[in-house]
Amino acid sequence: MSSPSAADSAPMLRRAPALAEESTLRRVLRGAAPSALRIAVALIYAFLLTPILIVVLTSFSPTRSSTFPPAGFSLLWYGEFFKSASFLDAFKFSLQLGAAAAVMATAIGFASAYAIVRLLGRWRDAGQSLALLPAMIPHILISVALLLALTIIPLPDFGVLLAGHVLICLPFTIAGITASLDGIDPGLEAAARTLGASRARALWEIVVPLAAPGVLSALIFAFIVSFGDVYIALFLTGPGMTTLPIEIFSYMQWESTPVIAAITSLQIVLILVLGLVVERLVGLRHVMRF
Amino acid sequence: MQAAERRFAGTLLAPITLLYAVCLIAPISFFLAVSVFRYDPFAMYVPDLTGANFGRLVFDPYYRGIIVLTLRIALLTTIFSLLLGYPLAYFLSRTQSAWRGVLLFLVIAPLMTGVIVRTYGWIVLLGSEGLINSLLIGLGVVRRPLQMLNSEFAVVVALVHILLPYMVFPLFSALAAQDPNLERAAGTLGAGSARTFLEVTLPLSRSGILMGSVLVFTLAAGAVVTPALLGGKNVQMMGQTIYELVLRTLNWPLAAAMGSLLVLLQLSIILVYFRGGRRVVAERR
Repeated sequence: MSSPSAADSAPMLRRAPALAEESTLRRVLRGAAPSALRIAVALIYAFLLTPILIVVLTSFSPTRSSTFPPAGFSLLWYGEFFKSASFLDAFKFSLQLGAAAAVMATAIGFASAYAIVRLLGRWRDAGQSLALLPAMIPHILISVALLLALTIIPLPDFGVLLAGHVLICLPFTIAGITASLDGIDPGLEAAARTLGASRARALWEIVVPLAAPGVLSALIFAFIVSFGDVYIALFLTGPGMTTLPIEIFSYMQWESTPVIAAITSLQIVLILVLGLVVERLVGLRHVMRF
Repeated sequence: MQAAERRFAGTLLAPITLLYAVCLIAPISFFLAVSVFRYDPFAMYVPDLTGANFGRLVFDPYYRGIIVLTLRIALLTTIFSLLLGYPLAYFLSRTQSAWRGVLLFLVIAPLMTGVIVRTYGWIVLLGSEGLINSLLIGLGVVRRPLQMLNSEFAVVVALVHILLPYMVFPLFSALAAQDPNLERAAGTLGAGSARTFLEVTLPLSRSGILMGSVLVFTLAAGAVVTPALLGGKNVQMMGQTIYELVLRTLNWPLAAAMGSLLVLLQLSIILVYFRGGRRVVAERR
């Protein structure tokens, strides 16, 4: 080792800790932004999820008032729900309405999505935007306009309510099924048709099975949309056909006992299970895509 | 398109066309038309053309107050949703975490539970014996419970909570579509993380900001259930007024005029959205 190199290394050695310190400081500063973001994100999640967790915890309250924290643990309010004929009827009605609306919105949505993806060509974007129309109009206006139509033309009340629910479910089923049709190779259908299958047969035997997970998740999501709706039902429900959200809404205008928490907890569990099924099948994000 | 293919497309699109024409476009057009009809207590409406309904909404201080309050609540809701939604969407679009799918699910899950469930959650949270008051009293911040329910504050908080997912998803799509190399390039060229964010990330996410804001504003302006349950007597929004006018007063023309204003409001915002969107596209070129 010669002396010049030793002389060179000496200041280097002295500078090195300073450099290290500087980079630590900079690293801390740089790290501060991401960790601030992480804390903010954690707080936002707390904001998103707390009201829902609170509902579930309140449902086990042994007392009448919606106090938090609850004074103990009981299944009293679940019992109240199963004893209440009006809530049970509304629950059953919502299940039936949701099932009917989901089946219709999925069938119509599949036909429309297929035509939009495979047949419209350069009109595809226009078709897709038009299909989303019900999502662009405030739902309360759809509801009130349908009620006005009912005052002029005597139509079956249930049919109109069902039509309203099919309308608000369609944007979701079409968005979801469009996404899953985009993932299917058009060549498969072309091959089936070359081999002699008709357009309809190729659709039924090739496309439908391949798109099944997307179709099933659209069905479930449409059910969820219908089941949670208040706005369409607001003007269109009547005696003998009240949906669960409307029954809860009218009950809550007078009082709010934990029976509401019990019902909504059951609803949360039902919807989370269905949501997880959709998530497993295709990923919820594709259904939510506008 | 061949004739056979056109016929096939026509068959497939017939149900949706029929449904939208008969159950959506026709009834809504007629409802909006009723806004220029004269109110008659015995016949609901008489088809004499008049501008009196719109005049009443603008000049009657009661209705003007409702419109101003609705605009204010919708605007506050949009701003707070954006402030909360942006960091969340940014984080979700950039994270490499294995929990990303779960985190995305947790944003959508509240949406699926419906409006009523979440509004009820806020009644329990903000009530005089609710979690927030219990915490504040327990920590000794206040002696007596704060009166938070039945206020504009409660309505805005709950609406932000209910509508936040509608803000997060367009933002997430816009942010996730950005090329990550752009941020890296800005860093290599010497921009700090704040400058990179302000000059690269934020401008490129404008389409998402606009789309999310349009959705949240429209949905907030049309709210009925949340203000009815959390706002008390002092908070009366346009959606509630339509409900009252139709079901209690049976004044269809005035309700239709209120509904038309809601649509007009939405159309003007969508127009701003498309203008803004086009400017974003122009800037990118």
